[in-house]
Amino acid sequence: MIYLDYAATTPVNDEVMASYIKVTKEYIGNTHSIHKLGVESKKLYDDATKQIADLFNVMENEIIYTSGATEANNMAIIGTCIANHKRGNHIIVSMLEHPSVYKMCDYLETLGFKVSYVKNLDNGMIDMNDLKSLITDETILVSICAVNSEVGVRQSLKSIRQVIKKENMNTLLHSDMTQAIGKYTINIHDVDLATMSSHKIYGPKGIGLLYRNSKVNVAPIIHGSTKYNEIRPGTVPLPLVVAFSKALRIALTDVEKRESFVKKLNERIINHFSKDETILVNNTVYSIPYIINISLSNVKSETMVHALEQHDIYVSTSTACSSSELSASVMAIYKDKKRAMSTLRISLSYLTSSEDVTNFLKVFDEEYEKLKAIN
Amino acid sequence: MRKLIIIKYGELTTKKGNINLFINTLSKNIKAYLNEYSYEEKHDAGRMFIIPEDNDYDEILDILKHVFGLHEINLGYETKTKDLDSLGNEILELLKDKDFATFKVQTKRSDKTYPINSMDISRKMGGIILKNIPNLKVDVNNPEIIVNIEIRKDFSYFYFDVIDGLGGYPVGVAGKGLLMLSGGIDSPVAGYMAIKRGVKLEAVYFESPPHTSDQAKDKVLKLAKKLALYNNTYLKVHVINFTPIQEAILKNIPHEYLITIMRRMMYRISKRIALMENCKILVNGESIGQVASQTLNSMSVINHVVDIPVIRPVACLDKLEIIDIAKKIDTYETSILPFIDCCTIFVPDHPVINPELSKCEEYETLIPYEDMIKDAIKNKEVIKVELKEQNNHSDLL
Repeated sequence: MIYLDYAATTPVNDEVMASYIKVTKEYIGNTHSIHKLGVESKKLYDDATKQIADLFNVMENEIIYTSGATEANNMAIIGTCIANHKRGNHIIVSMLEHPSVYKMCDYLETLGFKVSYVKNLDNGMIDMNDLKSLITDETILVSICAVNSEVGVRQSLKSIRQVIKKENMNTLLHSDMTQAIGKYTINIHDVDLATMSSHKIYGPKGIGLLYRNSKVNVAPIIHGSTKYNEIRPGTVPLPLVVAFSKALRIALTDVEKRESFVKKLNERIINHFSKDETILVNNTVYSIPYIINISLSNVKSETMVHALEQHDIYVSTSTACSSSELSASVMAIYKDKKRAMSTLRISLSYLTSSEDVTNFLKVFDEEYEKLKAIN
Repeated sequence: MRKLIIIKYGELTTKKGNINLFINTLSKNIKAYLNEYSYEEKHDAGRMFIIPEDNDYDEILDILKHVFGLHEINLGYETKTKDLDSLGNEILELLKDKDFATFKVQTKRSDKTYPINSMDISRKMGGIILKNIPNLKVDVNNPEIIVNIEIRKDFSYFYFDVIDGLGGYPVGVAGKGLLMLSGGIDSPVAGYMAIKRGVKLEAVYFESPPHTSDQAKDKVLKLAKKLALYNNTYLKVHVINFTPIQEAILKNIPHEYLITIMRRMMYRISKRIALMENCKILVNGESIGQVASQTLNSMSVINHVVDIPVIRPVACLDKLEIIDIAKKIDTYETSILPFIDCCTIFVPDHPVINPELSKCEEYETLIPYEDMIKDAIKNKEVIKVELKEQNNHSDLL
């Protein structure tokens, strides 16, 4: 198998899996129970959370576990709006967000909030002048993903923060960092709120987190809280928390070494595609090396996904969550509908071997030629 | 020119006869705190210098902020030259990157054979700086930057920023003390204040399972860890199982005297541990009048069972003053966690405020407390709470 869809999800690391199993078997106590088993579970929970807090240099109470990135985004976007509605009724998002973010915006509009969509430049970077002009006294929140999931454009959150805070000190910055964690070194203090997901960094599915600066008010979006979990109620899924913590620790080691390795693979693939006139490479100079996005001519990208699948090779159309629609990100960057309709995303990992790339390119060429001939 | 950390002792220097004991203890303590770092240590007339081998000045400065006995900690630059012009060049080199409009120069000359006196050195250096950096002004009252220069026998050094140390005495110079540590707000503060005066602490904690929980004990161990930060990186905690004694008291003693007798038992046990561990004093968090057992009468009757000094550092502080310190030393948030402890179970509705010694003595004959105390001490658990605690879950994480 050649798996090249790491931006959709990743296989669970063996060490992470071992922790998950061990905790499931050996730590049966509910972290809220007052007896010894509960206390033992709580200690493990505290250590796991402290490890995450230390990795990002934040406080333990700034970490809120969620079921995944979508819930964390809901909490950050909807929860912040609800908690801060007295300060304003306006939010700003980019046009490069995960599709689910736009659904949250639609919902907020039904509650009376106003949503603005900040433009991006041709290279995918946020148009700072536009951002500046959109911020008003009413702007509660700006939400911009650190790395776009389709084209991999990496934003400068530091500059974005500077622009925002200059216009309105109270406007909060949230960033969905799902595609960014482990890919380069992040300074979480550039933002007030950040979303992370376990299954994109070789951890189990079913857990994510929201980093929330302790000065920021967020209203719970799931109700039933107790004094132990004021924002996110529910029994703590200890095995997931521990596995996530371990996955994060591993993901944040050797970040630069892995990046330079993946960069070499990326260059080979992009060079290869660049030689073919019928293929448009959608990456910009600001794309991270882990994500490659191309548009095919005369061949439906969905067909290409299935053709490769016959060879046990896995890539995706745009994002896993919006397959068969047009790629909103490619549309936002290139404003070309045809180009946005036929995108293929190849996403790499430090686990990808050079041989994988060679074989993928060989099979790709063969299948692409075949399909082009049919059309 | 090399970067170094300059330590000033403050109050220590007034202890003429014992100065070497103080400095040696401080040096040993610093070694314990910096055991993960490689550094060179140097002494010169009233100053200690630490020169890290790796570039971890910031981390080391952070650690030293928690060491008692340091009056000032400065990041400075040492140079072999004592010639004012070359010294001036080195200072200019570092001032170049700083953003400031006003300054003054302050000089100390411990090398009295140096031909120019301190005032003149400052004046000359001020002139050199003014000549070389445009648009600066000297402001002796409220300068943005103070250039501190010290001319020593074999070298000179200078620094700009002054970091206040914790003050106090090096931990251990005063000997050892035993802290009666509960999960409350007062006793950790009392402990901190004793450590500040150079008392190396151990602690005793009374638990009463099943009336008290592991959570309560964990809370106390967490507090112990906060104190370990000041107590030379660790705190030894003696955990006493107080259940048999407490239950016997509950069963046999008139309820208004429960707390008084309980405290007397705790004092007796503490004193014995103190003697075993070579602790010269008991330290606790009693504050005059705060609760029934802390009226002067109660204190007197309770104190009667021991013949070693009992130091009560917070005795004369208001609760709010105690809370301020608890917040400063980061014990407050832990202390207010709502777990029941030994002193809060079995609280009678109307505890006696003015207990009588004769009654206490009479009631105590109702329980065989000598044997029970011996048992409790024999069965005590000793936990060494270390600042750098091994993470028990490192295999899972």
